[in-house]
Amino acid sequence: MAETGRLRQAAITSPLLSPVTLVRLAIIAGVLVLWETIAASGWLYRDVVPSLLAIGRAIIALLSSPEYYWHLGVTAGEIGAALTIGGLSGLLVGLVLGGSRFMGKAFEPYLYYLGPTPKIIFFPIMIMWFGVGPASKVALGTMSCFFPIALSVAAGMRQIDPVLIRVGRSFRLKQWQMAWKIYLPAMRHPIINGVRLGLGVALIGTLLAETKLSNRGIGFLIIQAYSLFDMPRMYAMLIVLFILSIGANALIGRLGGLDSIKRL
Amino acid sequence: MSVASMATTHTAKTSAQDSAGLLVLDDLSKRFPTPEGTVVAVDHVSLSVKQGEFFSVIGPSGCGKSTLFNVIGGLISEYEGNVTVAGERITGPHPSVGMVFQEESTFPWRTVIENVSFPLEIEGMPKAKRYEKARHFIHMVGLDGFENRYPSELSGGMRQRVSLARTLASEPKILLMDEPFAALDEQTRLLLGDKVLQIQEELKQTTMLITHNITEAVQLSDRIMVMTYRPGKVKRVVDINLPRPRTSEIVGSDAFGHYVAQIWTDLREEASRGLTEDEGRRVTRATR
Repeated sequence: MAETGRLRQAAITSPLLSPVTLVRLAIIAGVLVLWETIAASGWLYRDVVPSLLAIGRAIIALLSSPEYYWHLGVTAGEIGAALTIGGLSGLLVGLVLGGSRFMGKAFEPYLYYLGPTPKIIFFPIMIMWFGVGPASKVALGTMSCFFPIALSVAAGMRQIDPVLIRVGRSFRLKQWQMAWKIYLPAMRHPIINGVRLGLGVALIGTLLAETKLSNRGIGFLIIQAYSLFDMPRMYAMLIVLFILSIGANALIGRLGGLDSIKRL
Repeated sequence: MSVASMATTHTAKTSAQDSAGLLVLDDLSKRFPTPEGTVVAVDHVSLSVKQGEFFSVIGPSGCGKSTLFNVIGGLISEYEGNVTVAGERITGPHPSVGMVFQEESTFPWRTVIENVSFPLEIEGMPKAKRYEKARHFIHMVGLDGFENRYPSELSGGMRQRVSLARTLASEPKILLMDEPFAALDEQTRLLLGDKVLQIQEELKQTTMLITHNITEAVQLSDRIMVMTYRPGKVKRVVDINLPRPRTSEIVGSDAFGHYVAQIWTDLREEASRGLTEDEGRRVTRATR
């Protein structure tokens, strides 16, 4: 965790055109050139690798279509709901597991084993319980992000420096002051880190569910473009989604990142 | 003044009732149950710290110094005997007692001024007022200009000064310190000792310092209590009749050397007893 913080710091403080930045730009340029070469060569089936121009046009068409934003809104709402439900329940469970040695020992092994299980296998059950609409996607996203958040909150709670709690006791803090002014700020890194991990898996869970069975959302649009073999549109959506998820991750990372630079 | 005449020693049986002190320990004992049986950490300790006095407790590792610290600080609420501050029995953290811990204890997510004003924030003092007060104590520990820095940007000695200022900001009647400079190098420790002497002079702060460092104890104290190795009893109380105001320069004087030697004689017995009893389990830091 400290490592990634330092890396992020290095990335932020490096000058605009450092050798690293140049290499990064060169990689992007290389991929684009290779792509265009393959597209123009005709070695693969037409449209499997559409030209950059076609993809560019598709992106413009996509971004100027109100329908797309509606679907984007559906997916964002699902992810937001999943992150809220999964995050709050994860925080709560994490606090209980981290606060009590007994509870931690009794329950955490299950979380460790269930955590990495691909949640998509529960999708059929979620459909039976919650229907084909957004609710089943929210359920899957919630299941996905609950585990990393609960586990990192529990671990974070155990890592709080005991002397800080003694300081709080010596100044006679009340229970809520203890929680608000010592526990939560002392756990800010594990909590933010948990939310970042949670966002990532909530995104995967929700989108995956949408591609499996749904009638709205970005996952649905992508799989629809695929079945209509509208490859430029599909690539356009993938690229936009890619950029959006990088943006969301960077946003949360920035909350934690700035913190780690300025406040240890 | 002859060196020998300056050393006045009391016997271990100083009764608490002798003088009405601000902090009075009357026949304090603390036992801990362990799997190997009951450990007596503090055994029938009586002492009295007067208003404005700088009192040090010195002893080898494992003599129950930290237990004493935790009992007086109210972090251990169950004990035998009586501990009172200004006549009130200690049953939990008391507003009159301010604690400075041995470990790094600044809040890393708060700036220096946010750290120092923390106890005032808890009291509910408005921000402008508590910052003004915090600045006063930041100045006192010599950290002007660092108000808006985070602890991670400061050295270990500076961070300990932040902790000290934070505790002073709560304006305790008794400042209770548990080896606050133990993690620092000797030079920093001596210079911080100067700072503490200066603050002591300015505030007339009643202070109890727990330490295993003889130089530090003699440099700062009016009286030093030497504790025995487990169970922790009072071995001797030594009056330090060195002139005030003092600075760390006093470390070079003959009288200083005499006190150090005298306390070391007492401490040596206890530390070596601790060392043999703990053989292989622990290396006592007091014998360094």
